[in-house]
Amino acid sequence: MASLAAAQVQEVRSITRIERIGAHSHIRGLGLDDALEPRAVSQGMVGQKMARKAAGVILQMIREGKIAGRAVLLAGQPGTGKTAIAMGLAQALGPDTPFTSMAGSEIYSLEMSKTEALTQAIRKSIGIRIKEESEIIEGEVVEVVVERAAGGGGARTGRLTLKTTDMETNYDMGTKMIDSLLKEKVQAGDVITIDKATGKINKLGRSFARARDYDATGQQARFVQCPEGELQKRKEVVHTVTLHEVDVINSRTHGFLALFSGDTGEIKSEIREQINSKVAEWREEGKAEMIPGVLFIDEAHMLDIECFSFLNRALESESAPVVIMATNRGITRIRGTNYKSPHGIPLDLLDRMIIVPTAPYSAQELKEILNIRCEEEDCQMSNDALTVLTRVATETSLRYAIQLITTASLVAKRRKATEVSMEDVKKVYSLFLDEHRSEQFLKEYQDEFMFSDVSGSGDGPQLMEVSQ
Amino acid sequence: MKRKACLIEALESDFNSVKTSFEKQVIKKYKDSEKMYRNTIWYKSLLDAEKTSLKEDKIRKIHYKFEDDREMVEEYNIDTHVLLRRSWKVKGKLGCEGKWDVEIGDPIPDGIQSIESTEIMESKDQPIVMRRNTRVNLEWRIRNLPYPIETYCIKGNNEEKCIILSTTNKKYYKKLKIPELTRLGLSIEQANIQSSHKYNTLIIMYKKPQQLLDMEKDWYQELDKVKPVKDIPNECKTQ
Repeated sequence: MASLAAAQVQEVRSITRIERIGAHSHIRGLGLDDALEPRAVSQGMVGQKMARKAAGVILQMIREGKIAGRAVLLAGQPGTGKTAIAMGLAQALGPDTPFTSMAGSEIYSLEMSKTEALTQAIRKSIGIRIKEESEIIEGEVVEVVVERAAGGGGARTGRLTLKTTDMETNYDMGTKMIDSLLKEKVQAGDVITIDKATGKINKLGRSFARARDYDATGQQARFVQCPEGELQKRKEVVHTVTLHEVDVINSRTHGFLALFSGDTGEIKSEIREQINSKVAEWREEGKAEMIPGVLFIDEAHMLDIECFSFLNRALESESAPVVIMATNRGITRIRGTNYKSPHGIPLDLLDRMIIVPTAPYSAQELKEILNIRCEEEDCQMSNDALTVLTRVATETSLRYAIQLITTASLVAKRRKATEVSMEDVKKVYSLFLDEHRSEQFLKEYQDEFMFSDVSGSGDGPQLMEVSQ
Repeated sequence: MKRKACLIEALESDFNSVKTSFEKQVIKKYKDSEKMYRNTIWYKSLLDAEKTSLKEDKIRKIHYKFEDDREMVEEYNIDTHVLLRRSWKVKGKLGCEGKWDVEIGDPIPDGIQSIESTEIMESKDQPIVMRRNTRVNLEWRIRNLPYPIETYCIKGNNEEKCIILSTTNKKYYKKLKIPELTRLGLSIEQANIQSSHKYNTLIIMYKKPQQLLDMEKDWYQELDKVKPVKDIPNECKTQ
């Protein structure tokens, strides 16, 4: 019985704690001031001032939205913040500008051709802002009830009671709606709108009638009047959809498939052409507005020659997004050919790009970043521990040092300390090998491993160097 | 569209402008106020629409395709000439497959519609409005309304072109549109509204004005000109 209750608690927790800490979750923007000058430490960004300034200029270009089809290459050694800059750019653009992030290798594993995958990615990065009349439910929440069907694990059913000053209605909710209600932390007394077609929930504020409830009101709680009249209204709302979404809606086979699997299926080029002409028509009539977004391709050297030549062509289109690529390669073989080229990208495409370099961080900057990560990972670290960690970062890699933060804090917790000390860092440093020490270790004990190729022992690192 | 506007304008400007003999004829014919409905855009669009007729059992189904690409289906009872159902095809602006929006008559049962696909919908026990016209009345039937008749306040509102139903216990509120009157440009008369409450159902009745009655009669005769489709494909019969 007790374990059952515990399991339920666990489930409840899993719903409320959705956000996990990712490698770049500390980044909230590019850290630029109004004049697009980079601040030393801001919004999770540290150092890399030139690259950030360049990103700021690109940001301005995207915001103005006039220039289509430019390509930007972020080039730099591993762990110099290329992905971080791209993420910062995405955050700075805000949620209204479409930002598609993909890895270069992604296109090979999909059940569609490479060019189709790229086309979809490109079309996902172009937004259309369109006015549409849609059915909106607007009211004050009276009650939210979520019940789990008997037997456990079954489908949840939910009931939502909403009211206006003139009426009251009960609604049944599906699983997704329940989840998004819980995610938005909707509770009795909130005034919300629900878009009936998309299921999007918007919290307007708290009802004035609940103004005297002293609990559960934060400082930023906004009080609004309880709506009047009917609960369901037809309202003109501005939607932002991507071209890809419009494609999907209009391709019947795909739409049907999407019901079951939610993805894949190639979209016919005729449909795309139809959509393009329709969108052009809307734009002429002033019904819709195009928002060119950003397509970010990480590990761009993983693309092959076909993709590059396709991109060359695609970038020339009027409705192309700004494409940002990131690579950590030097002069290397272009995938799919035997030719070598800087960054593994053909020269004709490189010629169309503006290249933003990122440089390795200084020790001071590394310390700053580690400090930010400590905060992000909720870990108290003593000053000398941080200094040691910075040493580790300069001598091995930043990524390895970041890995040590949480592990060290867990070790510290084991000995019931509130702060991570130098000893904890040293302990995890001895527990977990970094790449160099691991290599060293392998070289020493190569013979004892299975399938060891003694003669080739010296070749491995050399090959690596060539490919870099 | 332009031609229609011209006709109405010409009527108002006392036949001063030069017109073809045909137009003159048309205008003279409809000038008497009883047939004013023939000058409404609605009637004209019905005339101009591409119509397909189909007879099935005791029901005559007419499919209209209007010039602006909208589609409508009407179903008449052959014996009583009463309109049983009128529904419009709704097309999403982004081009998604449209559903049928029922203006008059029982809603079309939809097999797929469940809580899993729509995510949010009114509970089954909530009030539901249904249009069901009789020969002389426009009718709204609101099921699942358990409150006694004194609770309801039914007011015609000409500014918003609808009947507003409110309840004293603040449990239900609804604006009922009257597209039939709006289309003919007629105003709502409070005196024509009646209501009754029985078996958890509130019935609101609005007496059809003479204009509307004339028009419906006229239009039903007009529909006789549409040749019904004889052979119905087998697949359709099962529906």
